[in-house]
Amino acid sequence: MALIEVRDLKKTYKIGSVEIPALRGVSFKVEPGEFVAIMGPSGSGKSTLMNLIGCLDRPTAGKYILDGTDASKLSDAARAEVRNRKIGFVFQSFNLLPRMSAIKNTMLPMMYSTGRRDAKAARRALESVGLAHRFHHTPMQLSGGEQQRVAVARALVNDPPVIFGDEPTGNLDSATGVEIMAIFQRLNAEGKTVIIVTHEPDIAQHAKRILRFRDGILESDEPVLEQLIAAPKPRDAAACP
Amino acid sequence: MGILDAIQTGLSELLSHKMRSMLTMLGVIFGVAAVIAMVSIGEGAKQEALDQIKQMGIDVIHIKRASITGELADKAAERSPFGLKYSDAQSIASVCGFAKRVVPTREVFADVKVGEKPVSVKIVGTTPDYLAVSRSSLLEGRFLRDTDIHGHVRVCVLGAAAKRELFGFDDPMDKMVKANKRLFRVVGLMKAKEIGSAKAFSAMRDLNSDIYIPINVAITDFKIASQQAIPGDLTQLQKIVIKMLSKQSLENSALSEVIVQVQSDTATGPTASVARSILNRSHRGIRDYEIIIPAELLKQSQQTQRIFNIVMAAIASISLLVGGIGIMNIMLATVTQRTREIGVRRCVGATRWDIVRQFMLEALVITCVGGLIGVVAGIGGAKAISDFAGWRTVVSMQAVIVAFSVSALVGIVFGMYPAVRAAMVDPIEALRYA
Repeated sequence: MALIEVRDLKKTYKIGSVEIPALRGVSFKVEPGEFVAIMGPSGSGKSTLMNLIGCLDRPTAGKYILDGTDASKLSDAARAEVRNRKIGFVFQSFNLLPRMSAIKNTMLPMMYSTGRRDAKAARRALESVGLAHRFHHTPMQLSGGEQQRVAVARALVNDPPVIFGDEPTGNLDSATGVEIMAIFQRLNAEGKTVIIVTHEPDIAQHAKRILRFRDGILESDEPVLEQLIAAPKPRDAAACP
Repeated sequence: MGILDAIQTGLSELLSHKMRSMLTMLGVIFGVAAVIAMVSIGEGAKQEALDQIKQMGIDVIHIKRASITGELADKAAERSPFGLKYSDAQSIASVCGFAKRVVPTREVFADVKVGEKPVSVKIVGTTPDYLAVSRSSLLEGRFLRDTDIHGHVRVCVLGAAAKRELFGFDDPMDKMVKANKRLFRVVGLMKAKEIGSAKAFSAMRDLNSDIYIPINVAITDFKIASQQAIPGDLTQLQKIVIKMLSKQSLENSALSEVIVQVQSDTATGPTASVARSILNRSHRGIRDYEIIIPAELLKQSQQTQRIFNIVMAAIASISLLVGGIGIMNIMLATVTQRTREIGVRRCVGATRWDIVRQFMLEALVITCVGGLIGVVAGIGGAKAISDFAGWRTVVSMQAVIVAFSVSALVGIVFGMYPAVRAAMVDPIEALRYA
């Protein structure tokens, strides 16, 4: 069974009396363990799609089935729970809480699920992204790459089946970007489904499949023939057996 | 998110903006401190009044001599030349059925000396019933007896302060006290009476420096201590003197005060009106006396207290309202400032309710911390007032609890709107928010 199934998904924004169609009917499936890159120029509807499959927004029409449940009809609170348990988000601008240490930022999703602060799980997540030495630093004391690793750790801590990356390398230099892609590839190899939105072809080449969007419709859906394998940093390689 | 986590978040949020938090709390701090300090003053005054009234007893009425001055003075001198007199006490005792004890007292002018040193004590002539009516008790010896009255015996009973003045630490029993060249044998000693620092009622005076002697001795030996104006007109004065001399008798002897003890607490009102009508007739309409009913004073003071409390509540609600608006203002600014944080939290699984709760608790933390500081400041303020102004203050636990709860309530009420605003933030917009 597909982990994500999108059927004729439509989204129309209303600004005053003007209706702006952002998605005009999109259908695709993502199986568990896939690594998908979503590409497209700005205005193509890729961000809208990301918000919909990330359960941050509701479609105007169509069906969205995530892990067997119809997520297009869920209430606000139920969608919050889906975001908490089934999805891990990684953003372009990291979106860490500035006054919290790395470990507290990592624990944030747990505060909304079990309510317990499982420091062990948070440490494990930070270690798996190679930040064993940075538990108590605040985001201000971390480099961009390190901040993004904290964000990945936060996405992992509740062990969701899907990781969404919204331009996860957009604010990083290319070397650091590749390091983050290495982490995504490793997570994918460990069985996580990874979906990233990007407009950088190099980054997209790290995925196994590319969906291209234009003007609110799915233009092409192709497997990546020559997947780029990002070499992990030596330290990361040591961190994961 | 657990409550404890939310409170911790609120506290760390407070601590990360110390100056702003302090200024935000100021309204609540002042409000709570003002309420506690002012209620303490009110409570202190109330206790003081209550103590004094209780000391007078609520089953008694006091009829006091009052001096008439001004236009009515001449008329009063003619119609009721003696003012409150011995026969008034006798008629009240015989007419008024509610009266259990009627005690006349006569404070007199007397020159009391120990050796050659004059001392400031007051000689009061009275009857044996005075002991029961005044709620005093004896420390040593005995009080006046009927035989002292009938036999016209010059004995005296000393108040605690009078004893100290006259004899220091010596034993005064059976010693002599000299007043206006007459000697009085000490037969008893009174226990010291507690008396408040501020005298809330004119009816109260310090009884500890009194020396009690038989009423008839006080009448024959001494002149009454009174502020009654002496008429300026000589012929008028002459008339009065002649009148007084011609009618000089026990019945017409002036009294300072008549204390009437009634059968039950509820009988003070009727007794007072009976006494008033008796006196009105015998004094021929001249109000040269004053009737004081401690039970009524008690009622009045409770009434005043009630009004005071209402005014207090109004002041408190205004200052807490202002404090609450300040908190709402800051919380709204905080919500805008932390839009991105709200977006992140929503994204990782916070429901709207989680966000509402977080911001409500933050507002609550501000007002509760402010309330606590206010409680401490209020108690300190009350203490400072009693130390520096010498007023009696009583910090009432009730006021502390109410003031603190109201400050918490302010947090809930004024934190509500900002919290709901925070929960309404669209996570997609919030994450894009710079």
